[in-house]
Amino acid sequence: METPNIFWGVIGWMIFWGVLGSVVTRRRYLHRDLDTTNANFTGAMLGAATGPIGLVPLWLRTPELTNRLIVLPAIGSVTLIAAAFAFADPGNNCVSNGAFVASQITNGLIIGIIYGFMALGLTLIFSILGVVSFAHGEFYMIGGMVVYFVTAVWLPGINPLLAVLTACLVAFAIGAAFERLFLTPMYEGKVDRPVEYGILVTFGLAFTLQYFVQAMAGANPVKARRFFDFPRLRWPSAEDPWLLRSSRGNVELFDTVSISNPRFVAAVICILVLIALLGFLHRTWTGKALRAVSQDREAAAIAGIDPDRMNMLAFALGGMIAALAGALLVQAFSWLPQVGNIPAMRSFVIVVLGGLGSLPGAFLGGIIVGLVEAAGTGCIPDAQKAASYIPAYGMVVLTLTLLLRPTGLFGRRFASGAHGKF
Amino acid sequence: MPARHVPNAAGVLVVAFLAVFPFVYTAADYDYIMHICITAFFYAILASSWSMLSGYAGQFSFGHMGFMGIGAYTTGLFCHYLYLSPEPTRLCIEYPIGDLYLVVVNPIGVTSTTLTQDCLRQALAAWDGSVAVTPMPVWLGIVLGTLMGGVFGLLIGLLVLRLRAAYLALFTLGFAEILRATISAEIEITRGQAGLELPHLFENGVTILGQTYDKTDKIPSYYAMFLLLLLCLGILTWLSRSKFGLCVRALREDQDAAAALGVNIIRYKILVFVITTMMAAAAGAVQAHYVGIITPNNLFLLQMSLVVAMAVIGGIENFAAAAVGAIIIEFALELLRNSFEIGGVTIDMTIWRLVFFGILLMLTLRFSRNGLIAPLIDHFTRGHVARETVAARTAADRAGASR
Repeated sequence: METPNIFWGVIGWMIFWGVLGSVVTRRRYLHRDLDTTNANFTGAMLGAATGPIGLVPLWLRTPELTNRLIVLPAIGSVTLIAAAFAFADPGNNCVSNGAFVASQITNGLIIGIIYGFMALGLTLIFSILGVVSFAHGEFYMIGGMVVYFVTAVWLPGINPLLAVLTACLVAFAIGAAFERLFLTPMYEGKVDRPVEYGILVTFGLAFTLQYFVQAMAGANPVKARRFFDFPRLRWPSAEDPWLLRSSRGNVELFDTVSISNPRFVAAVICILVLIALLGFLHRTWTGKALRAVSQDREAAAIAGIDPDRMNMLAFALGGMIAALAGALLVQAFSWLPQVGNIPAMRSFVIVVLGGLGSLPGAFLGGIIVGLVEAAGTGCIPDAQKAASYIPAYGMVVLTLTLLLRPTGLFGRRFASGAHGKF
Repeated sequence: MPARHVPNAAGVLVVAFLAVFPFVYTAADYDYIMHICITAFFYAILASSWSMLSGYAGQFSFGHMGFMGIGAYTTGLFCHYLYLSPEPTRLCIEYPIGDLYLVVVNPIGVTSTTLTQDCLRQALAAWDGSVAVTPMPVWLGIVLGTLMGGVFGLLIGLLVLRLRAAYLALFTLGFAEILRATISAEIEITRGQAGLELPHLFENGVTILGQTYDKTDKIPSYYAMFLLLLLCLGILTWLSRSKFGLCVRALREDQDAAAALGVNIIRYKILVFVITTMMAAAAGAVQAHYVGIITPNNLFLLQMSLVVAMAVIGGIENFAAAAVGAIIIEFALELLRNSFEIGGVTIDMTIWRLVFFGILLMLTLRFSRNGLIAPLIDHFTRGHVARETVAARTAADRAGASR
């Protein structure tokens, strides 16, 4: 960075006005007896984006906090940070190199879709059982391991999609069995504090699964082959393929954006499964029953839905979604028994960002986190440090969310079941 | 002796046994057993302080190992970078204190050319033995580490005030993870995965009761850790029996009801955080000096899982049970290391023992939520209550039947 003082000065200024705005706005709205749900967030964002210029009118007029008033300052703050960074470090790759930026954004979006998909499983479990599954990363790991063992060790030459299906079935079975064996006492009121019991027992499952896989598969990294090869395409013409050029493992758009095959395949399958899942949740009886239980457990029981069966289905389905994400990414990354830790953390971040229990929130949160990580890894000058700090970018997002808007993007503060209390 | 005194008597016996154990035990694997004992005490401190935080106060923090790491790294960096010198080196950053100079060694990261980069080494080479540089005292590092753990506990405690259950667990887990990422990434200062070397607990040996111990002798470290464990258990006992324990348990059962009854929940939440994190940091600092090296992997989730599992299997709502559970499990884990063969298949117990351990953790949670040792203590201390209640009820029933 050439002039770090400019950048850190702007950041300091934004933090100062943001904190001041958050505190003052909340007090002002409380004082005038208005709705304070979004006061913290709006105050902080408006303060950060405009400083006193925006805060004074807000303080004087205390307008109703509409969506536009919430979103615009947030976008303004992000733009301001980006502008300050560009001024402070004009030579940086992610300021001067447009192709690099486009590439980072595309890849951030693609990986964000997969993150969002994985977080969807966690939020599904939470919205129905009221439990944050600490074993989510282990389901992810098992999905990848099963695909590796089926395609590379046990049945080489099998269609990789069958292997992915096997991984899903295995994870579904583990999830269902675990729920029946260990989570049932929660619903019967046998546990004093069900939320904590859920955390501890899924933590135990994570521990057991991780070492079980390590004992079975060893601690050496493994990697599965690419599932499919791209066809060789040159478009619009073979001499000048400025629009699209593909090789077996890579596709290049507009001569600038390069997307690797495994990630592309994974994102496409994730989107397809997501559409299928939405269809299942909105069109079938079981899916509707699942959503009903997540909205109001007791009312659903009165309407003839067995909430306990829905619990089993939700836990198994959530685990299966994580396993599917792992099964698709095993062709992109090398796989270890500990590989699930960071994705699990990331899913937590996404789920809190989107709002615990909110399905669209999880997906949007996934894309945001994907973009933030792409920006973090692309823009921090020291590449090695940037890679080491990958878990930290998500944590910054998590801390900001918890401080400014603990309900997340689409969170419901008073959900049914054990999760009304967070 | 009434039954309710049995656990106390057993506790006194165990403490007495552990106090004389290093002098009684004389087998060939003496150093190994001593090492397991010290590690077991270390985990016992962590498990019992964690049980105070989660079992008593209901604050399920998964960042306990992070605070342990803060204690260890604070003393590690303190002893690694600060020296006292009677002469100015004129190479390092230095501050005069009285007639001494506080030398701050420049961070050089992991490199093989220490002599040309490390300013203190260069100065020492130039002096050629004419000036003696004193390293910082280890005890001061441990005290600073403990305080730093408390400071971070205060900050995190303030941040998580509004969070409950799942959010708290996620946030603290993230805190530990971020700390680990930072330590791994800032290689120039913390030496990253290469690990930070620390001076030994008693670097120059120590003389106790006329007997001189070398720095490789286990006995002084054993007693240092043992006394720290006793100190922590003493503080925890005192706290749990005072108003503090009562308020903190009220906080666990129902935060809003406790607040309505006049419990200052903010104060108690922060206090319990600061106290338990200071214990974790102190344990981490002493253990780091005993082992002599600290790496970011010590903060790994596995270590946290071990502490959680020990506390849960011992009994999460009783810190003494958690400590006993930690000691027993540490020994069990070490003794289960031997691999064996069944029908030509070698079972690698270094991994499988952890699998069994995880299954034991889940089964304990499922079928005996108070752990395996706490119910045993309750059987003696509270068994008579149940008996009396049953007796009173049967008597009442008889009276009712005869009427």
